[in-house]
Amino acid sequence: MINFAHGEVMMLGAYSGFFVFEAFKAIKVSTEPVLTFSNAYPVLAVLIAFLVGMTVSALAGYSLERIAYRPLRKAPRLVPLIGAIGASIFLQNAAQLLFSPQLRDVTNPEILARGTGWSIMVNGSKVILPYTGVFTFVLSLILLAGLYLVVQKTRLGRSMRAVALDKKTASLMGIDVDKTISLTFLISGALAGAAGVMWGIHNGLVYYFVGFIPGIKAFTAAVLGGIGNLPGAMLGGLFLGLIESLGPAALGIDFQLKDVIAFALLIIVLIFRPSGLLGERLAEEKL
Amino acid sequence: MKQNLRQSLNTGITFGLVHVFLVLIGFNTLIGTLFAKLFGTPVSGSQPPAFTLIIYTAILGIWAGLAATKKAQNRTLPGFLAAGTLSGLTAGVIGFLFSLGLGWFLVNRVDFRQYLAFLSFDFIKATLFNLTPLLGALLTAGIFTAAGAVGGLVNGVRNIRRVKEGFNTIRLAGGRVVYNASALLHGRHRLFVRIGLLTALAALIILLPLKWGSYWNYVAGTVGLYVILGLGLNIIVGLSGQLVLGYIAFFAIGAYTMALLNSPIPHNLMWGFWPAVVLGVVLAALAGLLLGLPLMRLRGDYLAIVTLGFGEIIRILLKSDVLTDFTGGPRGIQNINGPVLFGKAFNSDIHFTYLIFAAVVLAAFVYSHLENSRTGRAWLAIREDETVARATGVNTTRYKLLALALGAAFAGLAGAIYASRNQFTGPEEHSLMASINVISLIIVGGMGNIPGTILGAFALKGLPEILREFANYRLLTFGALLVVMMLSRPNGLIPSRRPRYKIKDELENNPGSAEGENDQ
Repeated sequence: MINFAHGEVMMLGAYSGFFVFEAFKAIKVSTEPVLTFSNAYPVLAVLIAFLVGMTVSALAGYSLERIAYRPLRKAPRLVPLIGAIGASIFLQNAAQLLFSPQLRDVTNPEILARGTGWSIMVNGSKVILPYTGVFTFVLSLILLAGLYLVVQKTRLGRSMRAVALDKKTASLMGIDVDKTISLTFLISGALAGAAGVMWGIHNGLVYYFVGFIPGIKAFTAAVLGGIGNLPGAMLGGLFLGLIESLGPAALGIDFQLKDVIAFALLIIVLIFRPSGLLGERLAEEKL
Repeated sequence: MKQNLRQSLNTGITFGLVHVFLVLIGFNTLIGTLFAKLFGTPVSGSQPPAFTLIIYTAILGIWAGLAATKKAQNRTLPGFLAAGTLSGLTAGVIGFLFSLGLGWFLVNRVDFRQYLAFLSFDFIKATLFNLTPLLGALLTAGIFTAAGAVGGLVNGVRNIRRVKEGFNTIRLAGGRVVYNASALLHGRHRLFVRIGLLTALAALIILLPLKWGSYWNYVAGTVGLYVILGLGLNIIVGLSGQLVLGYIAFFAIGAYTMALLNSPIPHNLMWGFWPAVVLGVVLAALAGLLLGLPLMRLRGDYLAIVTLGFGEIIRILLKSDVLTDFTGGPRGIQNINGPVLFGKAFNSDIHFTYLIFAAVVLAAFVYSHLENSRTGRAWLAIREDETVARATGVNTTRYKLLALALGAAFAGLAGAIYASRNQFTGPEEHSLMASINVISLIIVGGMGNIPGTILGAFALKGLPEILREFANYRLLTFGALLVVMMLSRPNGLIPSRRPRYKIKDELENNPGSAEGENDQ
């Protein structure tokens, strides 16, 4: 079932990161020169921001599953989908009411300031490789490696794969399906939270609607790589990001149509290669 | 015993957290203001008087008590009381701590409004019932506990055998009333009854728009358009079971056809209303057909996402500057001409309301004929199990495409009328949110039947107009409503009934044997 509210889980993580950085911005370690907590202990600040963001999002994902998805597990397809959409709308508007619709600016620690980075020469002109970009990329790789290890090498991962394959048989084999699904949502929530904090650090803007498009693109990436296939999803994300960034320039069309490329890619993949680049066939009817 | 304890605690914690959330989004003062209006008490300043907030908190507390004791579970009356009190107490503790926290903000003059938008000092004062933080917090906890006790007591009383019997008698009497009413509609004199009802309805439809004033005409028109949309989507989702999330794209096609053919910018074609409506419907139907062709093999959720993507692509394309020359770009198209019937131009909302009512009647007529025809039964078969339908000889591809085309046609009709009435249309009006609105109205109202669609359209479009004070919380309630509806009544408020066939002889001779009836 498609978790429409995943983008909102990410949004909550992004807001948590924002609040942590705001709090650390306010705590002053010394007054001459003025040094905020963020700038005095940047590593610690970033670490705490990520921990808080991931925890909040993990809890959000867990609550979502317990409240809106678990009771609807056996219902016809349309019902949990609408429930997910309802949850998504609810979370967006709750965030809008709680935190006001104002666009929020995330204040990074100075060593990670947006826009700064290594200057390299490409074809005679200077290009900046941003610190935040590299940071995001490296951290993503680390998190994804961790996820891969968990899913492939641990017992929990084996349970997850078993439940994904066949719930009933998994329960017959002694796997606690409910607990496994809950843990899955916890982990996926944590990752979404990390993504949210990274979004705040790299893109700088956090607001209640920030999760919507990334949520859909996340699904596109997963489908691109093949649903149920983790390395596929990673490759899919990479591929999607590249196409989105290079596509408008390469195809000679406006940058406004960046999202159109993403959606068009999703449609094309689902129609012509539902199994994705590497993976499983879940989009077609099993006849 | 332990389970009861845990249930009370869990309920209490939930309600405590809900209370915190509702305060942070300003819901308590909104309800307080409404109560003040209800009791005629003047509201001084921007916050309601304390007693209204006391009532609000008490209601939450009673609810906590009721929820904690929902299932009887072998309790005695004191047991009910205790469970309710415990639940209220737990919520009260959370409320207590929260109020103390708010009080800290107040006492230290910390303005947190840039992070939590509602926490102005006046608001915090009101939430603390205009008392000192400690007293306010204690009062909150006290109200929750006492109200929780009341809630538990109510459920306890309801559980007493005598009371239960009393309720059953009332329920039986009510059932008898419904049965008699239904007998009127289906009984010997049903022709008279039905004609009578229809005449009354027709009289209402013709006379009300003349008396309402233009605001309610506008609202009624909007509800009517949404009924048409709901019927169209019901064909696709309710009858044939294909989950389409980008439905509003067909609406956009109808609206933009009308707009582009009847406005001086960008094309100045001025074809007139009626040819544009027909063309809008045809183009929308064609679009439905073309969209459906590559998607025939997709399964439920994936079909939903793809159609969502398609809807978004249409919106982004309409909004972009790239196609401005053709579609008018982000600003939309203005000054769309209205319809001209028998030489008279439509220049008031009354005319449009009649037009929309006529369109609704047409749509309902077409829909009900489709529903009860061979096509309709084919759709139901496809919805229930496509493989079996195919195995019994139903050409699923053809019927699925037909459903898409027809549903899209309905949307095109609604779109064309909408653009003409508003004299304006733009890309932001055709967003995903609009698609979700239509899907929700058929799900909340009841999928696959006409009264359900009308109820849904009224609930989702008419009620917000009536409950204007809640405007800020509309979408929040909407999202929560969707989730709650899916958890409690996934078939909608008026569920659809499948065709039932009773084999009369068997019923009369052997009451216990199987009847030829289908279940839901």
